Amino acid sequence: MSALKQFRSMFLTHVKMTLREKQVWFWGIFFPVILMVIFMLIFSGGSDDFKVKVAAVADASHEGTGMMLAQLKQIPVFEWIEEEPVTRAYAEELVKDKEIAAAIVLPSAAGDTSLSLILNKEDEQNSTSMAVIGLLNEYVQTANLMAAGAEPVFSLDVESISAGSDDLKYQDFLLTGMIALSIAQGGLFGMVDMVEMRRKGLIKRLRMTPARMGLFGLSDMLMRLLFAVFQIILLSLIGVYGFGATLHIDLISLLIIFLFGALAFNAIGYFFSSFSKTTEAYMGIANIASFLMMFLSGVFFPIETMPGWLQPVSKALPLTYFVSGLRDGMVYATGWLSGAFWFGVGVLVLWGAVTFLLGSLLYRNRSLTAR
Amino acid sequence: MTVLEVQNLRKSYGSVQAVKDISFAVEAGEIFTIIGPNGAGKTTTLEMIEGLVQPDGGSISYGGLSWDKDAEAIRKLIGVQPQAEAMFDLLTPQENLELFASFYEKPMSVIEILDMVNLTEHRHKKVKVLSGGQRQRLAIGLAMIGDPQVLFLDEPTTGLDPQARRNIWDIVLALKEMGKTTILTTHYMDEAEKLSDRVCIVDAGEIVTLDAPEALIGRLTKEREVRMTFVNGDIAAEEAESFAGAQSSILRTERIGKDLKLWTERPEEALHALFGFTRDRGWRIDQVSIREMSLEDVFISYTGKEWRD
Repeated sequence: MSALKQFRSMFLTHVKMTLREKQVWFWGIFFPVILMVIFMLIFSGGSDDFKVKVAAVADASHEGTGMMLAQLKQIPVFEWIEEEPVTRAYAEELVKDKEIAAAIVLPSAAGDTSLSLILNKEDEQNSTSMAVIGLLNEYVQTANLMAAGAEPVFSLDVESISAGSDDLKYQDFLLTGMIALSIAQGGLFGMVDMVEMRRKGLIKRLRMTPARMGLFGLSDMLMRLLFAVFQIILLSLIGVYGFGATLHIDLISLLIIFLFGALAFNAIGYFFSSFSKTTEAYMGIANIASFLMMFLSGVFFPIETMPGWLQPVSKALPLTYFVSGLRDGMVYATGWLSGAFWFGVGVLVLWGAVTFLLGSLLYRNRSLTAR
Repeated sequence: MTVLEVQNLRKSYGSVQAVKDISFAVEAGEIFTIIGPNGAGKTTTLEMIEGLVQPDGGSISYGGLSWDKDAEAIRKLIGVQPQAEAMFDLLTPQENLELFASFYEKPMSVIEILDMVNLTEHRHKKVKVLSGGQRQRLAIGLAMIGDPQVLFLDEPTTGLDPQARRNIWDIVLALKEMGKTTILTTHYMDEAEKLSDRVCIVDAGEIVTLDAPEALIGRLTKEREVRMTFVNGDIAAEEAESFAGAQSSILRTERIGKDLKLWTERPEEALHALFGFTRDRGWRIDQVSIREMSLEDVFISYTGKEWRD
């Protein structure tokens, strides 16, 4: 009963401290909202749907091209400028004039299976081109699966591509990325008060009372999770009502990825706090970590658009998995049944567990040698 | 009744022996002050008694309770106000007190504490905007909230202006009237002399002396320093010095311009003779003072160190 009393007043303390801390408002609310609005305005271009104008090129018509074209036409992101395939010369003209973003060249012979893509050199690196490349890659992979032998699997996979890309709007992509980023930053930056409390001797002070330090940590964690829920709701509302993002929420996946993600990033922040003597040192480390992850984890752009040599780095970062898991739970409404989702959760758990243990170890060693 | 007994306490950090062998007992209701130069082992001693640092040897007993077996019970018994400003800056004094009150089964009333440490009118301000003295008073309030038997006040007046220091003194004396036992450390000799029932001087990890402040001062040499300033200038002072040097009651002299200092164990006799001499010469003396011995002299004589703060 007295534990409950302690927990309640500790939780209230954390709530008050969080709400009264200007840094929390800035980094937790203001910064992600502004960042999201800016990116939305720049990249969504005001159009509701993310559509890419394309044309198909077929030099010779045979059974294979017809089937392939039919499948490609199921990808709703593509807007076909001509119903029928055009000639290569005409398509190149269209690409040059920027009438279309890309021309997809279908195989010319029946046995040939290679697709090729004609892009405008100027637009080679832009997000539209990247999206086309990504989509085609996905298609090719699916087609390869089919070629391996299973007809029913093939049609199912095409179905899943269309289900996902039906709403493949940059708004959705960015919104979920920003939600993941702000929760991650909440964890990375949020432990700064641990450093401050230790510097001021507050942790030592609490240890001299009958206060239960476990409850103190737990109530802190609860507050942080609630704050993250608030961030999700706020950013979602802005994304959906301000920029027309569409969410398909799968509550189970969302809950799972949210919980493990938030805990993992808080553990990383806790680890940073264990060896930072001053808040400046802590903020420096948290900033480096945050910026590294912000641009390498597919928050703003798909990882596939990054240079190949950088991609392994992305695959090691926890935010990559958090972002992708959150997208599974909020946009694709799939997830918790897929292996990739659980692999991501596993990576987050690993990051969380390792950093938490290291952090605890450093805290313990330090308090033993404290003068 | 003894509330705290410390026996043969020892603690080393690497090759440095911070505390060599410290033993003392604190009686219920007294203000027990520990003073010592920086690095003397005061903080380490206190931290061991407060249960923050594990001693290498020796025992600490709170009326039979020990940290090994009864940590939980001891934490309810003691109230600690540490040196650092360890409180929640973004909360108000009242909220800080309410939080700490929730840790104890039978805390004192927050209203009462606010009144006692004179923070009632500031109770809704955030701690970060309070003055040094107000924060220090809140720290004492936080130490008291659990209604402890033994209070640890670690340099409660360091860095405060004279008025704020006096406020803290009043609180400490009020605590004594409530029957609380206080263990105090301070950088100020006048504070130790004024507040303490007993003073314990620690140097190089050991207790060099322990007694009531008056007894400690009384134990010093009886030698007194007398100062006088001559209106008639340097020559008068010079002649007076040579006269004083010939007196058996005067041990030694020192003169700077028209100011003369002399040391004697019998100030009345020495002054009587000296005044006879100056009256005969018709000289006038501007100022005369006999310096009282203070705890500072005790400190210097025991530790051989100048007091600094």
